Amino acid sequence: MNNKTSGLIITLTVIGIVSAILLAFVYQWTTPYIEKHQAKAQEAAVFTVLPEAERYQEVTKDGMTFFEGYDSANSRVGVAMVVTGGGFQGNIELMVGVDLSKQQINTISILNHQETPGLGARITEKAYRNNFANKPFGEYQVVKREPTDPMQVEAISGATISSEKVTIIVENAIQKIQQAYGGGA
Amino acid sequence: MEQFSQVLLLFVSTVLINNFILVRFLGICPFLGVSKQVETAFSMGLATTFVMTLTAASTWLINTFILEAFNLPFLQYVSFIIVIASLVQFVEMFIRKTSPVLYKALGIFLPLITTNCAILGLALLIPLNGYNFISSVVFGFGAGVGFTLAIVLMAGLREGLQFGDVPESLKGVPITLIIAGIMAMAFMGFSGLISM
Amino acid sequence: MAGQLINDFKNGLWQENPIFRLVIGMCPTLAVTNTTENGLAMGIATLFVLLSSEIVISTIKKLIPSNVRIPSYILIIATFVTFVDYFLKAFFPSIAASLSLFVPLIVVNCLILGRQEAFASKNPVHRSIADALGMGLGFTWALTLLGAIREFLGMGSIFGLQILGAWYKPMIIMVLPAGAFISLGILVGIMNIISREG
Repeated sequence: MNNKTSGLIITLTVIGIVSAILLAFVYQWTTPYIEKHQAKAQEAAVFTVLPEAERYQEVTKDGMTFFEGYDSANSRVGVAMVVTGGGFQGNIELMVGVDLSKQQINTISILNHQETPGLGARITEKAYRNNFANKPFGEYQVVKREPTDPMQVEAISGATISSEKVTIIVENAIQKIQQAYGGGA
Repeated sequence: MEQFSQVLLLFVSTVLINNFILVRFLGICPFLGVSKQVETAFSMGLATTFVMTLTAASTWLINTFILEAFNLPFLQYVSFIIVIASLVQFVEMFIRKTSPVLYKALGIFLPLITTNCAILGLALLIPLNGYNFISSVVFGFGAGVGFTLAIVLMAGLREGLQFGDVPESLKGVPITLIIAGIMAMAFMGFSGLISM
Repeated sequence: MAGQLINDFKNGLWQENPIFRLVIGMCPTLAVTNTTENGLAMGIATLFVLLSSEIVISTIKKLIPSNVRIPSYILIIATFVTFVDYFLKAFFPSIAASLSLFVPLIVVNCLILGRQEAFASKNPVHRSIADALGMGLGFTWALTLLGAIREFLGMGSIFGLQILGAWYKPMIIMVLPAGAFISLGILVGIMNIISREG
């Protein structure tokens, strides 16, 4: 190895080490804030999908994490879980909250997605999410008109695929909740 | 069999539905800069596909066995860009030694590839989408094929455009962008092709 | 002296505007300008990275051997980009979420590497600062304008404020990829006419 090559390697190594040290500090400084935001977002999502809950606790069953919501009388009002599935562009992460005694969905909350702005991204809007409010457990059908049947979900116009994907992810979540908590066929 | 069809679906959707250039906006610089002639556009596409496939494999390995294993997420961007830069350098040296003909065709494009945002974008999308090794490689290859498809189609249109009567102020970049817009609309038609 | 600095600064705003005149840095330009806010945020993030890396590189330019300068520049840029990414995630999580992948892609924005090579590596620190501010602001106003046009036509609003009433049927195509290409193409064409007459 001649002088020139070692000069190159030394320059790059020095820059690399300085940058790694700086970034380690940045990482340490920002991580608590980032975690706080994530915890806050999760908490807000749990209370959205379990509206009757006063407090909630995390439980692990069958290797999956669930959020059990309790009201002021300390009785369980519902269960929520986070599920991820493929969307149109990338993964969609959402939270589903269910009422086990009524065997129906309370509502859903979209946590993360990469759908097209203005089209698929409208899955985060209330108009679409309300599709799932108070729906009985089971399999849903995505339709392009006003739903006539409780098992139908109205697609966002121009974003049928995103609408279908969300429906599949929700069905999947319900299956998992039913498996873990028994109940339902 | 199940797995094979999954991989095939991933390939088709990467090439057509989520085309890197026309849907994800990655790799616009070479798309506008190197699309004047079909022949050069094809060479550029070939070189990019080659580097993309290798990038996909190596970033998956680095992300899984180094960054995730030692919990160093903050070094992701720095290490990925180093990998890409050295990979391009390595490919350039390798081609120069083994095939002078190929080097003549691709040589001048290789340095440009380092700053092609499609490559870094690809590297970043792999951990984000949680692909395994095989899917990563297929994703990288599909992204390259999609890139080649878009840039060659554009070059074909621009060759024909030389004989068209384009308004003075739209000549060059503006008309290319408008054509790209129309192509993007056409590619939207693929979005219903697969429903997984 | 001061006149030279003002010239360096003004250069990027119009005469060599990165988007409308030089047509570089196109990926983020097209991808994140679906709303005014995203365009502005991306512009500011890019401005920050451009300014910090021009300061560092014009300071240490004599220490970097010339045949390893490009990898060194990219490393320095990548460091600042990671900083911006974590900063946005920590303090502006909603902006970080909507820009997502395009924050790390600032690393390969040709504008940033191009200015190091064309300016910071040849000029003293104070001139590099003027150049970075001019280019960065030139990039920012162009992104914000494009974002405003697309959001206005595509959703009837600007900065999220609904301007057109319910009677307006949004041209959804404008917030989609196709609209990005077409509106930028027309804008560059208009800028060509303006600069030729002016």
